[in-house]
Amino acid sequence: MLTVKNFKKKYHQHEVLKGIDMTIEKGDVVALLGPSGSGKTTFLRGLAFLTPGDSGNIIFDDQKIDIQSATANDIKQLRQKMGFVFQNFNLFANKTALQNVEEGLVIGHKIPKAEAKQIAQEALKKVGLLEFSDHFPSQLSGGQAQRVGIARAAALNPEIILLDEPTSALDPELVADVLQVIKQLADEGKTMIVVTHEMAFARDVADKVVFMDRGLVVEQNEPAEFFDHPKSPRLKEFLSRISAASVANNSFEYEKSSVN
Amino acid sequence: MPPFSFEFFLSVFGEILPYLPITLLIIILSIIFSSLLGSFLAAGGISRSLFWRTVTQSYVFVLRSTPPIVLLFLVFYGFPKLLLLFLNINVNGWQKSVFVVIALSLLFASNLAEVFKAAYLTVNTGQREAALMAGLSEWQAFYRITLPQTIVVALPNFANTVAALIKDAALAYVIGLVDMMGAGNNLIARNFGHHSLETYLALAVVYWVIFIIVEQGTKYLEKYLSKSRAVDTTQSGVTA
Ligand SMILES: Nc1ncnc2c1ncn2[C@@H]1O[C@H](COP(=O)(O)OP(=O)(O)OP(=O)(O)O)[C@@H](O)[C@H]1O
Ligand SMILES: [Mg+2]
Repeated sequence: MLTVKNFKKKYHQHEVLKGIDMTIEKGDVVALLGPSGSGKTTFLRGLAFLTPGDSGNIIFDDQKIDIQSATANDIKQLRQKMGFVFQNFNLFANKTALQNVEEGLVIGHKIPKAEAKQIAQEALKKVGLLEFSDHFPSQLSGGQAQRVGIARAAALNPEIILLDEPTSALDPELVADVLQVIKQLADEGKTMIVVTHEMAFARDVADKVVFMDRGLVVEQNEPAEFFDHPKSPRLKEFLSRISAASVANNSFEYEKSSVN
Repeated sequence: MPPFSFEFFLSVFGEILPYLPITLLIIILSIIFSSLLGSFLAAGGISRSLFWRTVTQSYVFVLRSTPPIVLLFLVFYGFPKLLLLFLNINVNGWQKSVFVVIALSLLFASNLAEVFKAAYLTVNTGQREAALMAGLSEWQAFYRITLPQTIVVALPNFANTVAALIKDAALAYVIGLVDMMGAGNNLIARNFGHHSLETYLALAVVYWVIFIIVEQGTKYLEKYLSKSRAVDTTQSGVTA
């Protein structure tokens, strides 16, 4: 469904992405792991042209984009197929939770207001926040805000949702609810790329885990193999630092707490 | 000097209030034009182009370091010459109020540019990106998401700037414009300099009333806007 070829990005002289190749099949949940500064955010934002890459190709279904020569129209068409969930939510502060979800439906996708409202309410219900419809972002907890962020992305029914560390700005006790919502999307068959430091979650939910380091994809595998039999030394070191013990112990913990 | 006459003080209002509309018109037009020019300057100030940033920074620097009264005379004497020289337009017949509005607009545009720019920069830029991902265009993201929040943030400083503008507008009489202040001065002249105190006190009272209205209006607007629009001013971490 989505193929990325030789994606490169430089900041000044610093080569942050040195040629990323990635293939994502429909329904895949890809967990993207890697040390801080390895270029995960840069890659995800590059896919959505929020900070465009320097060179490479993005092939999405029948749309082929050469990053260097992408037009505004190409980008618009590509974004139509993508949803983005930001680390710090980026909810529209001047709109209520419901309006946050409606905005893209009504303005972005030109869906009639009544229908959009129904879709938006449905999306909020799914993340357990229907009764918070009229709350402004400043009146939501971090976990609630991020769930609205996910509802906002999912309501547009994009072909793929890109999530950049959706839980890393949250207090630990709020993480579980958000992960649960993402797992629910995965169970529905949504295609997703999730940058995350939640190893237990990656192991449980992902179909494929990709390890990035210093601007390159170093290793990728299905989760059990990835975590239990890492091959490259750098991944071994990364996993040992995160500590296999904590991965095993925390496993499935997010499932215990239900979405309220 | 004759003793303070309360009766004269009251009669001054009858003399100056007919000119209040001129004063208000100058103030309102200046607010409108300086806001428009200030918006362009603010946009230039945050533009990616070094050229526009330099142009707007220079403008703001020059205007902010020109005393209002100097600028007023510069516009009054200089503007007609410039227009005649470059565009061959003769402005001798123009109303003096036009020059006052031009001077005040040029001056306060530089202040408002800073107010708008600072407010825009505090509004989380990540919301713009979220809007783009939701299918909004750049323009829609701006006027539906970023702009309303910028207005809320800018309001207190905008009100302060307007207050300064109202006070500086009282200088208009120096080029011979008969607004409220000019009428007051004419009244003093007709009385051969007598009753200056009563006249200026009456003028002060009118300004106090204007300020009470402006202040209450701002307070009301602030309350109204912050009730319906909470503003998130947390800086967005674009990376990491
Ligand atoms: N706007 C920028 N200007 C200059 N350098 C940047 C910019 N954004 C990112 N970088 C650099 O690019 C590299 C990759 O950053 P990126 O944010 O993609 O890493 P990351 O893998 O998402 O890290 P983290 O896990 O901390 O979020 C870092 O070395 C960073 O300093
Ligand atoms: Mg990151």
